[in-house]
Amino acid sequence: MNRTLIALTALLLAPSALAVKVGALIPLSGAGSVSGQAAKNGYQLALDEINASGGVLGKPLELIIEDDQSNPAKAVPAFVKLQTVDRVDFTVGGVSSATSVALSGPAKQYNAFMAWIGGAAVPVEDAFADHKYFFHYHPWSYYNFEAILDLFKYLKAKGAKNIALAYEDGPFGSAGVADTVAAFKKAGFNVVLQEKFKTGSGNFAPLINKAKGYDVDLFYWVGYDVDALPLASAIKEANFKPGLIYGTPPSWPVGFENNRLSSGIAGLSLWLPESPTKASRDFVAKYKKKFGKVTDEYFAPLAYTNLITLAAAINAAGSTDKDKVAAALAKTKASTPFGTLTFTSSNKIKYQGFKAGQWLHFQFMDGKRIPVFPIDYARKPVQYPQK
Amino acid sequence: MSAATNVPAPKRRTWWPWVLGGLLAVLAVLFPLLPFGPRAEFATQTAIFTLIIATLALSWDLLARTGQLSLAHAAFYGIGAYTFALLAKYGPAWMTWPVEMLLAALVAALFSLLLGMATLRLSGMYFAIATLAFSEVVKTVIQNLPESIAGGANGMLVEPLLGGQTRAQYYLALGVLLLAVLTSLWVRASRLHYAFTAIRQGEEVARVLGVASTPYKLLAFFLSSFLAGLAGVLYAGKTFFIIPTDTFSLSVSVTALTTAIFGGLYTTLGPVIAAAVLTVIEELLKLRIPNGYLVVYGLILILTILFLPRGLMGLGRKK
Repeated sequence: MNRTLIALTALLLAPSALAVKVGALIPLSGAGSVSGQAAKNGYQLALDEINASGGVLGKPLELIIEDDQSNPAKAVPAFVKLQTVDRVDFTVGGVSSATSVALSGPAKQYNAFMAWIGGAAVPVEDAFADHKYFFHYHPWSYYNFEAILDLFKYLKAKGAKNIALAYEDGPFGSAGVADTVAAFKKAGFNVVLQEKFKTGSGNFAPLINKAKGYDVDLFYWVGYDVDALPLASAIKEANFKPGLIYGTPPSWPVGFENNRLSSGIAGLSLWLPESPTKASRDFVAKYKKKFGKVTDEYFAPLAYTNLITLAAAINAAGSTDKDKVAAALAKTKASTPFGTLTFTSSNKIKYQGFKAGQWLHFQFMDGKRIPVFPIDYARKPVQYPQK
Repeated sequence: MSAATNVPAPKRRTWWPWVLGGLLAVLAVLFPLLPFGPRAEFATQTAIFTLIIATLALSWDLLARTGQLSLAHAAFYGIGAYTFALLAKYGPAWMTWPVEMLLAALVAALFSLLLGMATLRLSGMYFAIATLAFSEVVKTVIQNLPESIAGGANGMLVEPLLGGQTRAQYYLALGVLLLAVLTSLWVRASRLHYAFTAIRQGEEVARVLGVASTPYKLLAFFLSSFLAGLAGVLYAGKTFFIIPTDTFSLSVSVTALTTAIFGGLYTTLGPVIAAAVLTVIEELLKLRIPNGYLVVYGLILILTILFLPRGLMGLGRKK
């Protein structure tokens, strides 16, 4: 009896003991769930690929996914569970900036290795500035704005002059608004309106009617996916016709491209399935094969890239020793759906992956996101001004 | 009718809440020492947030005993968190964390008095809406302070309480909950209980009977928000980071009221037990149904409220 019990226990424990464990902390519910669900698919795709090609260090890679619920109070215990109960060797994931900052304390306490795909707000950069195992794949918010300004300068040559700015009242929308306005002014734009809104409130009629009172060339809004449809609806109802409506939610509502209200709206993405690079085409093909259809959400290829490059670094290091893996990951030069990934320093951290150069701009046309800028990647010219 | 029939029958004292309370107290004190093995740290971290929610729910219940359904508890929680963070950052060197904590809770309580005075004439949904608006106002003010002061919408980093030591933070959170429990028991055992109940059951009648509702309601506001402010301090010192959209979120107030209702309104043990039960249910569901546990969790809450109108504490009582 005892021997059977011991054998059974050994069998149950064997896969975990032999595997290299990676914990993924992502929002599968709450405000960041669209990005989190996309990331989950990306991780699962990468996991299959890694294990099909022999795993890491000759062992299978085990991925333990925890839902942070887009909530710091839930993220902290979930992160601690990954470090102490699951005893993961490495941690990946992270979408929301608020949860990412809340993890900075436990991350340092457990000396956790973090290969992070989200948390673009500058407080995250401050919080992890002195953490030696923090690799940040997603561009920081100042890189996002740099890319937006490039497009707007291009449109300025086409006559765009007046910008109306609407932003959500959280860190995502409000971070550095004063700097944003100053940068627009420095680039020769008039910021005719700055209006804050509560994300998810759904009532944009007053804001839009106010904007209608100005001569607006570019209506630029920063908010979440839940704001996209009510905003588009309010714009249509008020018959507000700026030259271009430009939004930067981290994810767009599922199926938004099929809604006729989306037509002509432009936005920012790190990646689109139409991207012509080989790495992107490979990713699209693999994703379609596993999930039956492709996604437009860039957190899927970002998570995929995240796990693939981490696994490659572990193999290159020849061990799970954090210092060795960090050194190997720092040397990454990988072809990814976003272009070549290398880690260089940002304003405050040592290992920053993608920067402003990876962003591209798209416009919803004919039920799709069509890349329109930078010109090298554009499949169609940007429709400006909108009819 | 004889005179004897006017004498109220002696109350039947139920013993089980005291036994359960005692067992819970012993379990709570020993919790970090239990042999959880590798789960010990995770269990203690989860328990800290559970204690914070229990304190918040109990604080909400204290005000609810006067018949006021508050949606301002996120504001008191947030004021406590922000005051603590600002004192830790800008306060004089001699100010130790217990002083900062006490002052933070007092500031939350003072704000509640202002709100209380402004909303004294309101009740029911009008009161709820006014308190919700108060939360939004406080959040907007914090967001619009210069970023260099409180981080604006970006939030601010907070000095970890007790150097971030989990076990010490646990006992601090337990101490705060004990304070909330003792406050609740004191209110129940004193004349305040009769005054609060009279106000809840009919303010006009209470006034006719000589219960001046204004001071009692303000006292309820003060006690309730003081405890909510302490819960906010614990949260800030635990997560190292606060942000207006999360700290003043309506979901904080909703968590407080659903936990209190789930446990049993106007009771001391109810909100405490509910916080523990809901956390355990959530963690178990997460293990069993990782992709849909929140749906099941929500259903359990709805069914409990539908079929146990007196919450968990109503289970042992006769109808």
